[in-house]
Amino acid sequence: MTTASGAAPEQEKTSALPSLLAKYGTIVGLVIMIGAFSAMAPAAFPTLSNGINVLNQAALALIIAGGLTVAVIVGELDLSIGFAASFEGVLVTGLMVNDGLPPAVAIPIVLLVGALIGLINGLIVTKVGVNSVIATLGTGTIVVGLNFAYSSGAPIAAGVPDSFVNIALGRLWGIPHNVLIMIVVTALLWVLVERTSIGQSIQAVGGNPLAARFSGIRVDRIKIMGFMVAGVCAAITGILLASALGSGTTSAADSYLLTAFAAVFLGSATLRDGEFHIIGTLFGGLIIAIGFNGLAIFGAPTFYQYVFQGAILILAVGLSSLGRRYANR
Amino acid sequence: MGNSAIQPVGAETATPATVSSLVRVTGLRKHYGGVRALKGVDLDLRAGEIHGLVGANGAGKSTLIKILAGLESPDAGEISVDGTPVSIATPDQATALGLSFIHQELNLVPRMSALQNIMLGVPKASTLGLVDWRRVRQLVQPIATRVGIRFSLETPAAALSVAEGWLVSICRALVRRSRLIVMDEPTASLSAHECDNLFRIVRDLSGNGVAVLYVSHRLDEITGLCHHVTAFRDGLLAAQIDRASLNRARLVEAIVGTDKPETFALAAANVIAPESDEIALSVRNLRRGSAVRDVSFDLHKGEVLGLGGLVGSGRSETVRLIFGADAMQGGQMTLCGRAFTPRTPHDAVEAGVGLVPEERRSEGLVLAKSVAFNLSLTSLLGLHVAPPLPLMSMRRRDKQAQEMSQRLLIKMPNVATPVGRLSGGNQQKVVIGKWLSRSLRVLILDEPSRGVDIGARQEIHRIIRELATQGVSIIVISSETEELPGLCDRVLVMVEGRIATELRGAAITREALVQASYLSTEESQPS
Repeated sequence: MTTASGAAPEQEKTSALPSLLAKYGTIVGLVIMIGAFSAMAPAAFPTLSNGINVLNQAALALIIAGGLTVAVIVGELDLSIGFAASFEGVLVTGLMVNDGLPPAVAIPIVLLVGALIGLINGLIVTKVGVNSVIATLGTGTIVVGLNFAYSSGAPIAAGVPDSFVNIALGRLWGIPHNVLIMIVVTALLWVLVERTSIGQSIQAVGGNPLAARFSGIRVDRIKIMGFMVAGVCAAITGILLASALGSGTTSAADSYLLTAFAAVFLGSATLRDGEFHIIGTLFGGLIIAIGFNGLAIFGAPTFYQYVFQGAILILAVGLSSLGRRYANR
Repeated sequence: MGNSAIQPVGAETATPATVSSLVRVTGLRKHYGGVRALKGVDLDLRAGEIHGLVGANGAGKSTLIKILAGLESPDAGEISVDGTPVSIATPDQATALGLSFIHQELNLVPRMSALQNIMLGVPKASTLGLVDWRRVRQLVQPIATRVGIRFSLETPAAALSVAEGWLVSICRALVRRSRLIVMDEPTASLSAHECDNLFRIVRDLSGNGVAVLYVSHRLDEITGLCHHVTAFRDGLLAAQIDRASLNRARLVEAIVGTDKPETFALAAANVIAPESDEIALSVRNLRRGSAVRDVSFDLHKGEVLGLGGLVGSGRSETVRLIFGADAMQGGQMTLCGRAFTPRTPHDAVEAGVGLVPEERRSEGLVLAKSVAFNLSLTSLLGLHVAPPLPLMSMRRRDKQAQEMSQRLLIKMPNVATPVGRLSGGNQQKVVIGKWLSRSLRVLILDEPSRGVDIGARQEIHRIIRELATQGVSIIVISSETEELPGLCDRVLVMVEGRIATELRGAAITREALVQASYLSTEESQPS
């Protein structure tokens, strides 16, 4: 404190490495991981079919993580997305099996439900003033309750139309639909955040809500919109998961919450200094998927998956805050 | 208990001039970044005296107090207590030396009782390691009675009035055996009766050998109460006045100074009073709480209107109402002849009102984002590729930012530079630039040149005058008395939530502004 002027240049020198590490470390890690897995399992890992397999496994997590990214950019957390996705998977199969609705009707209804959950989250956070962690933990738990009330806890499997199952399992030019849908959703989200006036407002609200308000931006609306995007993306993941499983299962998508958070935070430490962005989340999701794929190829026991997932979440948030600390120095 | 450390307090009545120095400060210097807050000031404070500290905003009073409190460390200079040089690195050390500080915000823990607040951080009487609150209360009660506490010490601080909070804070200082209590604007939110009570206690403290450093903008209190007065101006010692020659005129002169600033003479020549008949904004009987009590004025088209007065006189609060940042509790506004009731800043912006806020880093800018990003925030819809398509043209955004930067002479590597990396003056230009890309009727600037170097300040003034000639109506708030004279066509001086004085053209001088700012409203004068 006393030698502020003398210490400044020195600090810059020492902070260059951590800053670089925080910005490009994840990409370096991704390359190292691909290289190591390729060397260790040359027959199984570096093949086109395994590549597509990895993307297919990553697709659902990336869609829900993309939505979460928007909520996180506006400066809020959404813990309800995993539970909501599970509920929406059950709901979409239920609407088809129990109510006989065709997929073309059931799917839009469920997407609207996703938007509605986001709207409710947003209203509670902005108009009532509840912290988003608590608010979405609450709504998420309520959604679990709704899920059990709707399904009585039993999977809805029998009578799911083939046309619905084909959405997730089908392929176009050899590429799984899920992957194509993920690419389209990610591209749309990128355009929304980076190339629209709403996206600029979203970034401004997350960067400094007061400055955004004083620039005439309607902060509450933008925040609500962020929650709604997260809600719709959760619904897409829930629907595609139900389609892939061929059934609506009460807690099928719960674990996507953790994966989504890990991807979002890993992504914030990618290419930018601790700033959340869609492309970063894409990288984060891929790293996690490749890690899981490697664990599976080497036949690691199941408990390693949990260790890996927990460790990567901590690593991701750690890198993210490291990046932010060295930003704007 | 509180004054036991003080030795000879024989002549403890009127002027303890014979007593030696308690705290002596010599040649104290402190700079923040490029701003030199203290350029070598002295203070000589004797045991048991009431010592006034006066100066305009930014004169260096707060910096001195922070250094004494151990919150900031000085660049150079010496502080001695009882003739021994000391270094005060932490608030703990200040307490150990017998210095106590009572700030305007009081810093009481709202949910704790008065007694708990008084004893915060003080070793308490205990039995077997447990605090014996009954004994603690017995020890504290006489001191509490002495400072005039009539309420129960069990009352939670949240339930106390501001005046009662002051008594608790004074009691806390005495329990810590303080020999000097620094009081920062003690009467700012007290009623006349509460003020009288406080003055009585301050005199009583002095009589018992406790020195008081009394910081106030209210000159009548200073002249009525203090044995000695130290005045700062622009980080320098302006005057040391003793009781015999203490009067209002002397204080005003010390605060304002007699030298005329040359730098603003040039700007003043440009000032023309347009006196356009067209009224852009009309404000009638605006009210909100105790900050804005009854404000009415008209703002003409193309006029630069200054809002003068002291910090806390209600200027920022008034413009926040005009900008829709706070809800008004009474009054009407019309903007270009139409009723104007902004509920949010968004409404105000849509109607053509812009605000350059006082805290530019926390309220005006997204620091991590680029210059181009920040400059485009108020004109996002205008940057669409084609109106029905919601896509933005980043090329147009960058081009607009480029042009704006050239127009405002913003110094930066390029428009992609994060705005947090720019200097204060350039950051301020970005905040102003945000508003220039949309059609504006009224632009409000709250302390536009605070923390900005002289060159950038002149450029900001040039931009303001230029906008006015283009027909934009401007409101400028400034606490620096030399800023408004060169810049404004008309100045309204606010005192305690009301407009007290209107100055026009050549009548806008530093002296007139200071005089008007210190115009007290009859009440709250020490007896």
